[in-house]
Amino acid sequence: MISLLLAHFAAAAICLSAGRHGARWALWLAAAVTATTFGWLVSQSGDALDGDGPTTDIDWIPQLSLSIDLRLDGFGLLMGLIVSGIGTLVLLYSVAYFGRRNDLGRLAGLLIGFAGAMLGIVWADGLLTLFVFWELTSITSFLLIGFTDKVPAARAAATRAFLITGAGGLAMLAGFIILTTTTGATTISELAADPPTGTLTNVALVLVLLGAFTKSAQFPFHFWLPGAMAAPTPVSAYLHSATMVKAGLVVVARFAPTFATEGPWRWFVVVAGLASLLVGGFRAMRQQDAKLALAHGTVSQLGFLMVLLGLGTAATTYAGVAMLVAHALFKAALFLSVGVVDHETGTRDMRRLHGLARALPVVAASVTIAAASMAAIPPTFGFVTKEKALDGLLDAEIGAVGVVALVGIALGSVLTVAYTIRIAVGLLGNDAPGASPDADTAPDADLSPVDPAGVHRPSLGFVAAPALLAILSLIAGLAAGPVGDWIAEATASLDPKTAEKHLVLWPGINEALLLSTAIIAAGVALWWFTRPRTRTVDARHSLATVWYDRLYDGLLDGARRTTALTQSGSLPFYLGIVLTTLAVALGSALIAGASDSITSPRFSNSPVEFIAVLVTGALAVGVVFTRSRFAAAVLLGGSGYALAIVYLVQGAPDLAITQFLVETLTIVVFLLVLARLPSDFAPAPEWAPRFARLGISAAVGVTVAWFAFSASEARTEPSVGQDYLALSEPEAGGRNVVNVILVDFRGFDTMGEITVLAIAGAGVVNLVRAARRQQRLKRIEDGSDALPDEVASKRKIGVWR
Amino acid sequence: MRQAPKYSVVLAATVNGLTPILLLFSIFITLRGHNAPGGGFAGGLVMGSAVILRYLTAGPAGVRSLRFDPIALIGTGLVLAVSVGLTSLIFDDAFLESAIWKWHAPVIGDVKIVSSSIFDVGVHILVVGVVMAVIVAFAEADDEMGGRT
Repeated sequence: MISLLLAHFAAAAICLSAGRHGARWALWLAAAVTATTFGWLVSQSGDALDGDGPTTDIDWIPQLSLSIDLRLDGFGLLMGLIVSGIGTLVLLYSVAYFGRRNDLGRLAGLLIGFAGAMLGIVWADGLLTLFVFWELTSITSFLLIGFTDKVPAARAAATRAFLITGAGGLAMLAGFIILTTTTGATTISELAADPPTGTLTNVALVLVLLGAFTKSAQFPFHFWLPGAMAAPTPVSAYLHSATMVKAGLVVVARFAPTFATEGPWRWFVVVAGLASLLVGGFRAMRQQDAKLALAHGTVSQLGFLMVLLGLGTAATTYAGVAMLVAHALFKAALFLSVGVVDHETGTRDMRRLHGLARALPVVAASVTIAAASMAAIPPTFGFVTKEKALDGLLDAEIGAVGVVALVGIALGSVLTVAYTIRIAVGLLGNDAPGASPDADTAPDADLSPVDPAGVHRPSLGFVAAPALLAILSLIAGLAAGPVGDWIAEATASLDPKTAEKHLVLWPGINEALLLSTAIIAAGVALWWFTRPRTRTVDARHSLATVWYDRLYDGLLDGARRTTALTQSGSLPFYLGIVLTTLAVALGSALIAGASDSITSPRFSNSPVEFIAVLVTGALAVGVVFTRSRFAAAVLLGGSGYALAIVYLVQGAPDLAITQFLVETLTIVVFLLVLARLPSDFAPAPEWAPRFARLGISAAVGVTVAWFAFSASEARTEPSVGQDYLALSEPEAGGRNVVNVILVDFRGFDTMGEITVLAIAGAGVVNLVRAARRQQRLKRIEDGSDALPDEVASKRKIGVWR
Repeated sequence: MRQAPKYSVVLAATVNGLTPILLLFSIFITLRGHNAPGGGFAGGLVMGSAVILRYLTAGPAGVRSLRFDPIALIGTGLVLAVSVGLTSLIFDDAFLESAIWKWHAPVIGDVKIVSSSIFDVGVHILVVGVVMAVIVAFAEADDEMGGRT
């Protein structure tokens, strides 16, 4: 299993590194990987359904009890088939959708990387494994929403989605950590085997649910999902309808059978799910952009699934999983169809589209079937599963929460039927160009109708993916019996009681069917009576988005103010703060824990050392009194050299060498900087009178000296120095113990230090580059790009790139 | 605008002669570090000072002619150092645990290579890159002032 995941990430790396050379082959490569995964899953399906699917358990960081735990159970198999199957179709569809572009490597790389991460989520057993893959999907989703990175709106939508799902992910991590520390269980299966209870568990579960809600776009976190439609349509179809937004549902589905009866779980899930169901449904009625209408519909249906899977009874879990499959099929089909329409007509505005049923017959058929499945009209799979859901809710004996769920879902389903018809009719059915502008229409909206005769005919490969998905929606409905049994076996890994559940195409006249009929009738009526208004109305701004933006802007504004307050830009001010803090913190610690005995430092009694110490001190005093920057730099360097001699006499040649070299380079750099500055120090700032500066300096000097003396007395454990000396040669093969400590015993520290150094160096180079770019821009604005060609050509080589 | 400084011919000649010695010496310091005073940091600084000397005698053009990208040097050094650490992880040792290879070479005598020496070489390259980055910043400032080229 792990090698399959690694194959995804390796393919992602290959596609991404193709850079501008990436082309269609990248999509083919990615499709090959997902198709292979699909094939492997099919080959493993027997074992996985019997409960003997492959498992992987790799120690990752054993010290932190971090490991990668994967297992292929029935549910993981089912979700894996959806992820890899729809992934393959979407990638093949993308070949036609994007045509020839030079950023397909990036697209394919991100998509296949996402597919790998998503498989990780559905196969994960370890809680932290789940979290890692969870965050990976957030990151790839962020990059894919912002794929058209030159559009500011796309970047804003990507950031919004990332912050929301990222915050939710952190909440979930906190929940996982609480669960792990209170029970010691690190995997979902361990938790299910011995479920914890109590207040702390409830807190943890609420946190986990928050994570699931943000990812699955549940109210009040739903607003990022419509924004995510800034992504190219194949991406929206794959991530933001069929797979990624199901990640929250996956977590809920895995937790609910164990924890649904625990504390506030059911109410929490039902309230959030129903709110999403209704809010999404209402907003889908107002959208004129078919893709956005579908996105709001997705929010709505994710709410439905959240309620079903969250209730955690065997019947609702089974119905929820079946509906999840149905939703993945019809929603991907609809998104991909809208993509074809957009591609061939240049618009997704339902006010401009008409007569497409004749112009795009295959698309029209796909949309009709998929919409029928979405509105739960027989004999589609959507109808079969909705029946099961209503049945499960009617039979669920879980008290008031079950009744609320049933009523809410019935109302939401009415909306679902209404907006489904609206979208289908809007895309295909308008005979005449629909709307004339009215009071609700945005003034700058382009409403010119699209001429159906001028619509480009899509190639067969382009429409194959949506058509196949739509046909599957139909076949699964007609073959409800066997499909239902298969899903029952798969769902048994969530809750063994679901193994006896079945799906049927025609249940006979029963309560659920009557309810369904009423829902469809009410939905059609709702669509018909709101039609005059919904044909022209323009979508309003989402209130949640407005509030989010306000919060976000406020946060940035607050950060700017805080920065302006604390970062005055005055170097003396910074130094004053840093040094005062040092003196106060160190000084108070010393006073609190002052040791009685301060022994005098160890002198070597060498006259050289005596002279060197004197010189160091004298030069340091000189630095304070000179007014010339140049003299100060030289005196400081001299003081450093003298100190190096002290090191040498004390028997630390490595230290001395380094001190000499650093001092030399520092002086040179100092002087190079000083050549560009006035020769004398600037006058001291008014806010820091002489006594204050003297006071701070004296305090720092005394504290640091005191600290140095008492630190040598503070040892309570034996020194590790002896061990290092003894181990240096045999363990690390070096006789210079200082060096061996640096590169071996304490090599991690050196690693960190050189990383800091590398970042500083990279920072210097990039500052230079940024300054150069700005100056050049300024020159271009002035119309006098003064750089002669000769200099410009030199800059293309080496450091001057 | 500042006057174009005049470079000392004597200094330039000295530096020209000194540079190869400095470079060799810096490598020597790095490699001997395992058994005697020295090491990658010191060696890198010595090599960096060769770059500085070149800047002082030949100006920005002198640095430019080196054709090394400081970022590339920094990256190479860091990757080298990290990969030594990771290699020992792969062989089930702790991060950066030293491996020691010894063999008897015909003419030179006993040769001993310790994996942490490679780590030190990484440090060396990285330090040279950082020094160079600073010098490039100065050279760039010279260019923008239109002074010495």
